[in-house]
This record gives sequence, structure tokens and C-alpha cells, in this order.
Amino acid sequence: MTSGVVAARRTLPRIALRPRLRRRELGLLLVVAAALVVGSLSLGATQRTLAAHLNGDTKPVPLLGLANPGLLAIYLGALALAHTVLTVAGRRTDQILLPTVGLLGGISLLLMERLPQTLAGGLGGLAQTQLVWLLLSLGLITTLAVAVRNDAWLRRYKYTWAAVGVGLLALVLVLGHTVNGQRLGIAVGPFTAQPSELLKVILVIFLAGYLSENQPLLVEESTRLGPIRLPPLPYLAPMVAMWAMALGIVVIERDLGAALLFFLVFLLLLYVATARVSYVALGLVAAAVGGFLVYSLLGYVRTRVDIWLNPFADPNGAGYQVVQALHAFARGGLIGTGLGNGLPLIGGNLPIPALHTDFPFAALGEELGLVGILAILGLYLVVIERGLRIAASAPDEFRAILAAGLSLVVGVQAFIILAGNLKLIPLTGITLPFISYGGSSLLANGLVVGLLIALSDRGAELPPPTPRRGNRLRRLVDRGAA
Amino acid sequence: MAERPLLLGRRVPIGTALGRVGLALAVAFGGLALGAGYWQVIRSADLSSSPDDAAVIAASRQVLRGVITDRDGKRLAWNARDSSGEPYRVYADPSLSGVIGYSSRTYGNAGLEAAWNAQLSGVASTDPLFDLTRKFRADPSDPEALQTTLVLSLQEAAVKALGDNRGAIVMLDPRSGDVLAMASTPDFDASALANPTTAAATWSSVNADPNLPLLPRATQARYVPGSIFKIVTATAALGSGAITTATSYPQQPAAEKTGLLVDGFRIHDGHHPETDGTALKFDEAVEVSCNEYFALTGLRTGGAALADWAARFGFGQSLPFDLPTAVSQVTNGGGSFGGGFSDEVELANAAYGQGETLVTPLQMALVAAAVANGGVLMTPHLVMSATGRNGTTDVAPSVWRQVMDPNVASEINAAMQLAVNGSLGRKYTFGAQVPGLTVAGKSGTAQLDPGNDPHSWFIGFAPADNPQVAIAVVVEHGGLTTRGSPIAGEMLQAWRAWANG
Amino acid sequence: MDPAVLALWVLRLLFLGVLYAFLWSVVRVLLRDLRVAAREPGAALGRLIVLASPSGEPAVGTAFGLDAIATLGRDVNNAIVVDDDFVSSAHATLTFRGRAWYVEDLQSTNGTFVNGSRIEGISPLAFGDELQLGQVRFRLDRARP
Repeated sequence: MTSGVVAARRTLPRIALRPRLRRRELGLLLVVAAALVVGSLSLGATQRTLAAHLNGDTKPVPLLGLANPGLLAIYLGALALAHTVLTVAGRRTDQILLPTVGLLGGISLLLMERLPQTLAGGLGGLAQTQLVWLLLSLGLITTLAVAVRNDAWLRRYKYTWAAVGVGLLALVLVLGHTVNGQRLGIAVGPFTAQPSELLKVILVIFLAGYLSENQPLLVEESTRLGPIRLPPLPYLAPMVAMWAMALGIVVIERDLGAALLFFLVFLLLLYVATARVSYVALGLVAAAVGGFLVYSLLGYVRTRVDIWLNPFADPNGAGYQVVQALHAFARGGLIGTGLGNGLPLIGGNLPIPALHTDFPFAALGEELGLVGILAILGLYLVVIERGLRIAASAPDEFRAILAAGLSLVVGVQAFIILAGNLKLIPLTGITLPFISYGGSSLLANGLVVGLLIALSDRGAELPPPTPRRGNRLRRLVDRGAA
Repeated sequence: MAERPLLLGRRVPIGTALGRVGLALAVAFGGLALGAGYWQVIRSADLSSSPDDAAVIAASRQVLRGVITDRDGKRLAWNARDSSGEPYRVYADPSLSGVIGYSSRTYGNAGLEAAWNAQLSGVASTDPLFDLTRKFRADPSDPEALQTTLVLSLQEAAVKALGDNRGAIVMLDPRSGDVLAMASTPDFDASALANPTTAAATWSSVNADPNLPLLPRATQARYVPGSIFKIVTATAALGSGAITTATSYPQQPAAEKTGLLVDGFRIHDGHHPETDGTALKFDEAVEVSCNEYFALTGLRTGGAALADWAARFGFGQSLPFDLPTAVSQVTNGGGSFGGGFSDEVELANAAYGQGETLVTPLQMALVAAAVANGGVLMTPHLVMSATGRNGTTDVAPSVWRQVMDPNVASEINAAMQLAVNGSLGRKYTFGAQVPGLTVAGKSGTAQLDPGNDPHSWFIGFAPADNPQVAIAVVVEHGGLTTRGSPIAGEMLQAWRAWANG
Repeated sequence: MDPAVLALWVLRLLFLGVLYAFLWSVVRVLLRDLRVAAREPGAALGRLIVLASPSGEPAVGTAFGLDAIATLGRDVNNAIVVDDDFVSSAHATLTFRGRAWYVEDLQSTNGTFVNGSRIEGISPLAFGDELQLGQVRFRLDRARP
């Protein structure tokens, strides 16, 4: 029977195409298309009205007209193509993720269309560049969703993935150039790649492999620390390693957001794998200790925290961006100003310089209001719910932890930056998944969604049998049965 | 030795653990929703109306401020756009700088631009529903255009007449309170200050200028008045009945030579050879500007009455005017002697405009205007009408006060005519004469600390029998030679040219 | 109120409305999925019926409802405790993967048999197949609807 599984894997390249209608996806995509068309109409009407007002025209403005029909058509076409490809491939995969992510991406496109086009982007402006990245991201999602039928390449080489991750970190250290005091990017030709975005996916893959393999040992309670029962001490090593890595990212790369993201996702996955609250508690204590250390030792962390505690102390200096973001939320009120009608330009400049990367939520808060923001929070919750449900129905531990990790990495990242925007936690410079401008973020999150859709396949190839390969450490600790 | 299979040690099914993690994230996102609600609902109003708000700043930069015109419709201030499309102010002439002020993105507003900023930028509205429906309007602000009472040609003439001197001229219509010209020198280029490309350089040079061009002297500078204050003393004395026009003082001729002994302190005055030995009556005392006569009159009137009557002109308070004004005073106050004077000496000195008396040019123009208008002081004002989306609102002339009885006003009027046109007075104020126009007036030379040239003053009105214009001129450190009077004459000629079209 | 501005606001509010329409359709789909899932509970993936049991633990005729994963063995922590002298403490695991059942022998001392033949490692298990651990025999049945 084992040989049969191997044989099935060998025949993998021959994918039998049995088209299967995806009615739910189609229905939801139609709603997405309707939303984006209405949004574009709203933006277009507002932009024409404002332009006429600025030019002093008093003639009535034609109201019905899309803001940027070309970009919208290309984007909707790409969504339709992705849907068609998934339909033709005929896998029984999730039908909700693509429309949800498609709507978030479409909102991002509308936002980029209404921002000053000179803000960033080498391909003829902000919106056009963002569209290219969105298309590549959709392509990645579709490719992964169709082609990934087997997870051995993820499962088997977890230490290789870990090595790649460490390599990426080292690459940033050596080649990374500093933006706003953060060492985030690696310049690749005209583009700047943010390896931390890719790193988060690699981290989840590694953690899924590591935790699923060592799960039985992690739930052992061989060590007692007062009233706390801990697993065998060697198995605390990954926690210590993660803690050290997070600290290292904060100290060396000055990337508070990524460190927070990695550590939180790690803790949550540890809980998923072991269901041990004591781990989470221990992790939070470790995080608190680490947080105190970096707060007292690192000036930039202290500045961040001080700005967070009282941004209004220096509203035109250190606290400027945070205060202006809060003002943007306040201006939005309940129903917002309408797309294209907010974000007052001062001398031709946006009130928040890093709007397209760090504060898109503040922009949406102003233009769509509380009502719109709640809808967007809902969209992220849908992505999380889908991911966790895919995890819950996964056939084995590895896939479950992988799916959970992939959805958590999106959900937690969204939470960190949104909470930072809203002054609930100190601001960190990470991107808002699917909405922030930038290729690294869109591609990494496309990778996440593509894998999630692939993992959701009900008819997917079975996970390989429980590994027989000996693990010396495991044998040492393991108490034999019989 | 059997290996322990996976999943066996699990106490909580993975689905339950995932559910708990999902619940935790849902709670976290609920926190985000609450946070958004806090900023977008609870703090919405106060944050979005604070001056730090980008929309407030941008609106003030984006808005096309209302155009300001003079009373004949000539544009005084309008808008141009910079390279980013944001408007900035352009002014017709630097001579307007002392009254219109400026509106600069970087350096704020001054003058009429500051005083009427809300109307000019359209953030204030008289419509109570406006704020509620603002969000649903295509053009949420309603800037109003202002028509001022100013006359551009008179404004330019005033600055030209003052020339290189520091000083101020206020010209107004005593019948309505309309300010026709309000100049302050040196002026500055308000257009350069408003233009974003030249603003910084202009701002630093204007601030570095020791002549303080940014000081609107007509309303904000306080000067020692000298003899022009005698008109206030005269109003108090005649109005309170302390003297009549026939009153004379026997000790006055001698005091011109030896000085007037008041409370052990000797008040000196220049000798008037023309009147040698004659005790002057009221008209003649005004005509020759006799300090001794008015010192004695002040003492007879009393400090309390002098202060009261001065207050009727507006002393001791901010004037009801479009622009903020400095407070004119007859004394520093606090003294135990009547009216806040500290003693008789201060009162006697104040009565002819020395002492601790300090006045603004606008205040002295109002003194002239009250006399000219038969004792009725009209509220001075700069804006005739404001035109917004919903039509035009006129600012109607209004009576501020009846300062004195008409007969007192006509007695002072007659004396002031004599001061300009009389055979004796001509020596000091003949420069204010205008052929074909009867000018009434009073010159003043305000003595300052030794070493500083005195300020040169003139206040007056014309035509004397039917006054249509009142004027106050001050030339800082104008010197002993009277320079206020010829400038007033020049201005009255310009006024006549304008009035005759 | 300016009719053009009113039209603008209709478009703006319509956009917000369609966003919620999307969320509502998603929630409807999710709820339907949940209801479907509730109708076929995980416990009903299959039943394991005891055919022979010398020790009486488990008793003959007992039907165990199967979760996606069920462990069998002498240890009390197993999902299905088989108290037989020839059964190891952790003897075998039944897993439902994809759409089929598999049995995995956990290197038990006396082995696991499907339809009378001893299995090595993992082996598929069809409905109706007989499974033997020690002296205890089971049959895998479809869950009752």
C-alpha cells in the first residue's frame, strides 16, 4: 500500500482536468465586481466634481463615469480569469477566499487610484504599479491553488526552510538598507524587496513541520517549575530560539512589527499544537521581559512607546503621523467623506507621508467612515475564519497547523498594524495585508492565500504515513508502549 | 520499542484549540472596532475641528478668500494660484498693508484679513443649518467678498504724503464713521509676504526692519498727543461748564514769561509775542495754542471731569472698530487726585497734551470727527458690505455716542477754524489750508524726552461749515517745524479731488 | 441641498452597502456550511462493531461511533480501550483521511490483522472489513444516517 502512495506521487505531473462549477465563488465574485464598479463610480464622480471646483467650472459635472476604467477592467478580468482557471482545474477547494481577497485588493486599487500617483511606483504611477503587483499576486494564488497537490516539499524539508529563513535574515543584515531607521529592505534592481514578508510564510511552514512532528513530546509534562508544569527542557528550545530571534530582529533590524508578528504567531501555533495555556502564559512573560529589555535599552523603541502613550505632546514633531492618522479617522466619522473626498492635501502633499504603506487604514477610515472600516475588519475576519476552518478539517496535524499558521499570519499582521493606526498599541511599520502598497507584501500574502486554497482541497492527496525515521532525541524521551 | 503515534497525547481536540484561537482573534478585532468607534464617533467632533487638523489647515489654504474692494469697487485684495494650485493673496498696493494687513499660509493673518478671517475664508456663516448640511454640499465653505469704506487713491496719497517718515494718517467721514484712509508708514509689500515663493525672505526682512513696518500705527501705536489734546480739554471744560468761550485768566500773560507755578512746579511755555500782555480768550488760546491757558482750564475743570469727558471720546477702552485698537489714556491712572491723576501738575500738563497722556491716531481722528459732526460720534468702521452665496449684508452706519452738545461742538469748530485760518494761528497750521476749502484743525508738537525730536500732529476736518471729512496725522519725530499740517493739507486736497470725482 | 452632491452621496453610501452585501453573502454561505456540517457530525464517519471479545471488554455487539481519529489499545487513554492480554497498550490507530479509512499498526507485539492477514504499517480499511487485535475482532460499518 505504501508503494501505491509513492506511485500516486510519481504520477503527479499529469493533472487530470475535470472542470467543476464554483457557484459560490462566482456569486461572490459578482458581488465583488458590483462593489468595485460602484466604488469606482463614486470615486470618479467625486474626482470630477473636485476637479471642476478647483478649475472654477460652474457647469454641472457628468456624474456617472468610472474613475479609471482601464485599471478596473484589467483587475476584474484577472479575477474572472483566476475563477475560470480554478473552475477548469476542478479541485474541490475553498470558494470564499478568492472573492474576499479579491475585494480587499480591489479596495486597495481604488485607494491607490485616489492617492497622488507620484507617491511611489516605477510603472507609470502608484495605481498602475499596485495593479501589476495585484495581478502577480492573483497569478500566484491561482497557480498554487491549482498546482499544489502534495505537501511533501513543505513537510519534508522544514530545516531547509528554516535555513532559507535564517539566510533571508542574514541577507537583510548584510545587504539591507535603512528606511526610517528600520533595516527592512533589500534593493533588487529598481525594486525594494521586504524579506520579512516572505520570512513570515517560511516561518509558518517551519513551525508546522516542527510542531506537528514534536507535538507529542511538547505536551509531556516532565519538568516542574513550582506550580507550573513544563515539557522536557530540551523542548523549550524552540521557544527560546523564537524569543531570541524576535529580540534579534528588534535589536539589529529595528523591525518591531515583524518581531511582534513572528512571536505572536509562534505562540498561537504552539497553543494550537499543544492546547497548553501554560506555554502561552510563559511566552507572554518572555515577551514582557523582552519588551522591557528593548524598551529600556533601545532609544527607538522608547520613542515609539512614548509617541504611543502621548502623541499629542508633540503633534507637529514626533507624533505627527500618528496624530494625523487619528485626525483622519476623526474626520471620517460614521459614514466617511466618500472615496476621493478625504485626505486634504497641504501644499500638494498628503497629511501622512507613509499613507500608502503604513496608514492605508486611516485613509479608508476617513473616506469610508466607521461603517466602511467595520466592513473591512469583517473581510479580514472572513479570511481568518476560512483559514481556521481549513485547518480544522485538515486530515493531519501538519496541514492543520500549516493552515492555521497561514491564516494567523495574515490576521495577526492585520491586527498589529490596524491597532497601531488606531493607537491601541505602539505603531510598527508593517504592511496591511492585501491593501498596503507594495509587491513584497502582496506576493507574500498571495502565497499564503494560494497555499490555503490548495490545502482546503477535500479530495487532496493523503498526507504521507506517520514518519518512521528515527529521531534520537525523541526516542530518548519517549517511553515505550507495551 | 514502539513509537508513540501522533495525536495521541492531545487532550484538547485541535478543532477546539483552533476555535479558541479564532475566538481570541475575533475579540481582538472587536477591540479594533471599539477603537475605531472611539476615534470616529466620540472624538470625531473635537479632533476634526482642531487647528492641527489637516482638513482645517488645508481648507484655509485651499479656500479662495473673498475679494476685498474699496468703496468704489476697486480691488484691494484678490487671489492667485501657485504651482500646486493652491491660492495665495495678491494686494493692490503696499500702502494698504497697515489696514488690510496680509494673509499668509505660513505666517498667518493680520489686519482686516485677520479680523474678518472667518467671513473671508467662509468658515463662519450666519445660516444655522449650514454646519449640519456642510458635508452634503458641493462647496462646503462660503467665502464672503468685502467692500470696504476705504478709497484706494486716498490710501496711496496718504502713504505718499508721509514719504520716508514713520507715522500714520486716519481719514474718515464724520457723518457715517466710514474710514476713507488708514495709513501707517513704513508700509510693506503684503503681496510678497503672501506669495509662497517670496514669503520667507520678505518675512525675515520685514521683521528685521528697525522701523517696525508690521506695526499698524493708526490703530496700535500710542503717541504723546501734545497740543491736539487741547480739543479734548476744551470739550471737557466747555461741556462741563467750567469755562465759557469768554473765559480768560489774568495770570496767563505773565506766566508766558515766567512759567506757570502749579503746586510748586513751574510750567513753561513758548512766548507768544503777538499777544503780548493780553489775557487770551478761548478762541485765541486755541488759535495760538496757549499751554498756560489750557493748563489753567484743566485745573479748573478738574481731573475727574477731564477723564470722564475723554472717556466719552473712547479713551480708556478699546474702540468699537473692525481692527483691534490700543487703548488711549489721559493718565496712567491709579493716582489719588481726581480721574486717576496723581497730582495737579500731571493734570495741568495733561490738559495741553503732555503729562502721561497717550493716544492712537484713530482715537484723535474720532475726536476731530465728533467735533465735526456736531458732537455725535459715529462708530468707525472699515467694512461697508459683505457678499456671500446668500446675498449681500450691509453694515449700516451707527451712532456710537453723543459726546457733547451741538453748541459746544460749534464753539470748538469755530476755534479750530481760527487755528488754521486766523492771523495768529496761521503761523503754526497754515500748511493745512486748502484754497477753496475751509479747513478747521489743530496742530500739535508732542514734546518727548530730551534728545528726541517731538512728534508732529494735526487733527481737523473740512469743509468747516459742513464737515464731510475728518483727519488725524502724526509724523513720528517730525521735529519742531510743524510737518503734520502740510501733510493734512495735501490729504484734504486729495480728498476734494476724489469727492468731486 | 445640491442634487449633484446628493447623487454623490448616493454612490458613496451604495458602495458601503455593497461591501455589506458581500459580507452578508459570505456569512450566508458560512452558515449554510455550518448547518450541513451539523447534519453530518464527525462521530458518524463510521462505526466499529465488536464481533468477538473473550474478555468481555469491550462487550460483543458494542458499536463505537468513530471520530476522524480513533486509537485502540489496552491503555485507558485510548479512544477504544481493548482489554485483552494479546493487545499492546497502544496497538493501532484508525484514521479517516480524505474519504477513506486507514488502519495503522503501531508496532504492536502481536500485530493487527485486516480480513485475517497481518498488516505492516498503514493499510486501507473498507466498510465491511474485519479488523482483529489480539483476540478481539471488529467490523467497520458505515455510520447510520
